[in-house]
Amino acid sequence: MSARSYESVEFGEDLPEVEPDVGMENVKRFCRSAMMYGPRFTDHEKAKKEGLPSAIVPGIMSQGLLGAIIHNWAPGCTIKSIDTVFRAPLSVDSKPTCRAVVTDKDDDTHSIEIDLTIVNEAGETRVLGTAKVEL
Amino acid sequence: MRGAEVSALVILDLHNHSIKSDDGRAKVENYCQWISKKGIGVDGFVLTEHRQFDAESDYRPLEDEFGILILKGSEVETDYGHVLVFGVNDEMQTAFDFTRIGLSAELVVREVKRCGGIAVPCHPGRTQVGMLAHVRERGAVDGVEVIETLNGGSRGSENDDAQSLAEEFSYRGIGGSDAHIVSHIGRCSTRFDQDIEDMDGLVEALRTSRYEAVRVSS
Repeated sequence: MSARSYESVEFGEDLPEVEPDVGMENVKRFCRSAMMYGPRFTDHEKAKKEGLPSAIVPGIMSQGLLGAIIHNWAPGCTIKSIDTVFRAPLSVDSKPTCRAVVTDKDDDTHSIEIDLTIVNEAGETRVLGTAKVEL
Repeated sequence: MRGAEVSALVILDLHNHSIKSDDGRAKVENYCQWISKKGIGVDGFVLTEHRQFDAESDYRPLEDEFGILILKGSEVETDYGHVLVFGVNDEMQTAFDFTRIGLSAELVVREVKRCGGIAVPCHPGRTQVGMLAHVRERGAVDGVEVIETLNGGSRGSENDDAQSLAEEFSYRGIGGSDAHIVSHIGRCSTRFDQDIEDMDGLVEALRTSRYEAVRVSS
């Protein structure tokens, strides 16, 4: 059971922004948990040797961060799907912001669609996507 | 057109994608709802689906409901990067294969013009999929008159580089959001000094009117 009712949600409603911790220690902790051992995620110098600008945040970690925004906003809701497009690498040790906004309501199924973005300090979109959520 | 500020009659967002594009996640109805709800200062937008022209979809009911002009173009992929195509018609669709990757940019620009449309290289400052790096390597493409100087998805200096390219070759500049999700529509647009009611009018305006790329706020 979601803490938010379908009726209480408005088209265009912003979910609270989150500035996630994508520092090296936190990313290493995630990689250990997910058993992702690629140095591109955990070593800036080795990532650069692969042609990346720095170590990058794993895509599934970004998806997890975006999912967390939704669950923080509506505890108990069901995320039916998250569909992301990785536009540009998200650097480890950067200060990104995760944003989400309601962009569709389906009265028949009582589900909503949410736009998701992760932007860097310059306001550039690094990850974008959508989620379908049942309240 | 560069120079004095254009007195706006119409503001159109000339570069957007819907769920018809492989990487598009937005329904057209939701674009309209968003513009209306957020008070985005655009009079309409163009859907430029990747590597295709959507001849079937009829958005007139949405135009009527929301009072927003919805036009359809395409974004094709050439050896000089991605190119927006306005004024797509049957003749143009037989002139080259919209689905093909690596089309000759020169052919696209020439054939689009011959068929009555206009081809506009988009996000030219972007690596690989933009025209700038290819121009530096192989020279300019004959026939280009307009490029996208303001793209809502640009990063770093990409828009500045596009503007510099436009100034270097005396190209005119347009703006488009390059939206793939609902909340990104209306970030960048093009302000025209004449009224535009359909795609023919847009093509004519891009050729002859005064216009400028602008960032739009609600």
